[in-house]
Amino acid sequence: MANRESGTAIGLLALCIGLWIATPYFATASNMANVLEQSAVIGIVAIGMTFVILTGGIDLSVGSVVALAGVVIGTLLQQRVSLPIALLAGMLVGISAGAANGLMITVGKLPPFIATLGMMSVARGLALLLTDGRPISGFPDALRAVATQRVLGISGPVWCMLSLFAITHVVMTRTVLGRYIYAIGGNEEATAMSGIDVRRYKTIVYAISGFAASVCAVLLLARLNSAQPIAGIGYELDAIAAVVIGGTSLLGGSGSVVGTLIGALIMSVLRNGLNLLGVSSYLQQVTIGVVIVVAVLVDMALHRRAQRIAR
Amino acid sequence: MMSIISSRRCLFALLAISLGAGALAACNRGADATAKPAVALVLKTLNNQFFIDMEAGARSVADSLGLELIVQAPEREIDVEKQMQIVENLLQRQIKVLMLVPSGSKEIVPAVVKANAAKIPVVTVDTRVDAATLAAAGGSVATFIGSDNEDGGRMAGAFVVERLGGRGTIAVLEGIPGHETGDARLRGFRAAVAKAGTVSIVASQTANWERDQAFNVTQNMLQAHPDITALFACNDVMALGALEAIAAAGKSAQITVVGFDAQDDARKAITEKRMAATIAQNPREMGRMAMIAAARLIKGESVSAEQPVGISLVK
Repeated sequence: MANRESGTAIGLLALCIGLWIATPYFATASNMANVLEQSAVIGIVAIGMTFVILTGGIDLSVGSVVALAGVVIGTLLQQRVSLPIALLAGMLVGISAGAANGLMITVGKLPPFIATLGMMSVARGLALLLTDGRPISGFPDALRAVATQRVLGISGPVWCMLSLFAITHVVMTRTVLGRYIYAIGGNEEATAMSGIDVRRYKTIVYAISGFAASVCAVLLLARLNSAQPIAGIGYELDAIAAVVIGGTSLLGGSGSVVGTLIGALIMSVLRNGLNLLGVSSYLQQVTIGVVIVVAVLVDMALHRRAQRIAR
Repeated sequence: MMSIISSRRCLFALLAISLGAGALAACNRGADATAKPAVALVLKTLNNQFFIDMEAGARSVADSLGLELIVQAPEREIDVEKQMQIVENLLQRQIKVLMLVPSGSKEIVPAVVKANAAKIPVVTVDTRVDAATLAAAGGSVATFIGSDNEDGGRMAGAFVVERLGGRGTIAVLEGIPGHETGDARLRGFRAAVAKAGTVSIVASQTANWERDQAFNVTQNMLQAHPDITALFACNDVMALGALEAIAAAGKSAQITVVGFDAQDDARKAITEKRMAATIAQNPREMGRMAMIAAARLIKGESVSAEQPVGISLVK
C-alpha cells in the first residue's frame, strides 16, 4: 500500500521539478502557499469521495451539495443568524444529503450511480429554488477571515484541508470504521456474513462525503464572499480524478486518503504550472486528461508488478 | 526486490514527466528571450465566439505595443472559483497588467483585491466589477472598457415596440440571474417596453445563456402563451435556441425574435429573415482598447476610468 503512494508522490515530485526548471515563478514560497490553498477546494471534496470509492461506490452529488450547503449558510447569514449556527446548519444539510444518498443505496438498494445522480439534480434544484437563482453575497468579516487570515504563514483553507486529511488518515488506518470500509470495498458479501452491519457503515460513508462537501462550501463562501446556487458544477469529476490519480481503485477496497491528498496536489500543481507557463486553455484540458490516464496506467502497472512479485 | 523494480518504474515516470516539462520550458524560454512585458487577459470562457473575438482584437495589437499577451479562461463560463484560481496563478507570474472579464461581478472582487495588493493594475472588460462590493473590500479598478448593456437593452426594446406597431405580447429569455451584463440588458429592455405602455411582457424566464435550455424554455412558454408576438433573448445563443423552438411550433411568421451580441450565426439568421435583429457589441474593439490601456498603464500614463465601446442595432 505504502509503495503505491510513493509512486504517486514521485509523480508529484517529478512534476514539481519539471515546473521548477520550466519557470522561475513556480518554486517560490508565495506560489507554494497559493497552490496549496487552491488544492483545498477539490482536496476536501476528494476526501469524502475517497471514503465512498473505497466502499466500491461513487458520489456524483458532491458538487450540487456544495452549492446547496453554501446557499443555506448564505441565506441564514442574510437573515442575521449567527455565524456558528449558520455554519452548523450548512454542515447538517451536507450530512443529511449524504445520509439520504446512503439510505437510498443501502435500504432502497439503488445503485450508487443512480441514487447520487438523483441527489445531484435534487440538491442543485433546491439551491436554485432557495435563492431564486441569484447569488447571495455580503457576509460577516469573520467568515471572510477563513480565507484571508494566515496562522503560522498558512491560510485557513490549507489548515482545514491538512487537518481533515490527518484525521481521516487516522480513521482509515487506526479505527474499526476504517477497517470495515476497506472490508466492504474488498468483499461486501463476506463482510456482511461476518456479522458487520454493512448498511450502517455505508450510510456513514456517504454522510461523510456530504459533510466534506459542506466544508468545501464554507471555503468557497469565504474565498468568493458569495454563495452561488451554480457553484460546484463539475466538482464530482475533479474529486474523482484526484482520488484515482492518488491510486485508489474505482472497484473499491484499495487506496488511501494520503494518495488522494497527493492526487489533489498533482491536479492543482498542474493547473498552476500551465497557467504560469501561459499554455492555451484548450491545451490545458488536454494535458489534464492525459495526466489522469497516465497516472492510473502507471499505478496499475506498479500494482500488477507488486502483486506478481508478492506471489 | 519489489522496491527495486517499482523504483525503476518510478524513475521512468519521473523521467517522462520531467521531459514533458522540459519541452514546455523550452517553449517558454523562447517567449522569455524577447523579454517583453507580459500582460494577461482572463476571459469568462473560450467556448463563446464573443470572447474569441475579444482575444483576436487583443492579439492584433500585442506586437505593435510590444507586449507579451497571455490569454486564459476557465472551462465553464460560470466557474468563478476557477477564474479566481487563474488570476491567483497569473499574479504569481508577475504580469504587468491584468485585463479581466469577471465571471461574477461580486465574486471576483477578492481576486481584484489580490491584484491590487500585488500592485498590478486591473482593467475590467465587458463586465463590470460590482462597485459597492469593490469599495467595501478596499479594491480598485484602473479602467472599465465595455458597452453600456442597459442602452443596448433599451435599443432592443424600442425596436420590438416599433416592429409590433405598438401592440402585442412579448416573451423574454434572461441570462443567469445576478449576472450584471444580463440584468442590465433586461433593465433597459423592460424600461423601453414600459415607456411604450401598450405592449406587455407576458413571460420572462432564464435559460442560463444556453442554447438548449432556451429551446426548452421557449417551447414551454409557447404552450402557456400561444399568442406571443415577439421574443427578446439577452444573448444570441439563447435567441438561436428560441428560433428553433419557434420554427418547430410553426410560428416563425408570427414571432419577431431579437437577440444580443451580433454573433455570426445570428447575423446569418437575420440575413435569412429568420431573426429580426440583434444588438452588436464590438468585442474585437474591446480587446484592442484593453491592450492600449494596458500599455499606457505600464508606461505610467493615466487612463480614463470609463471607456465606452459603441453599440448598434443590426437588422
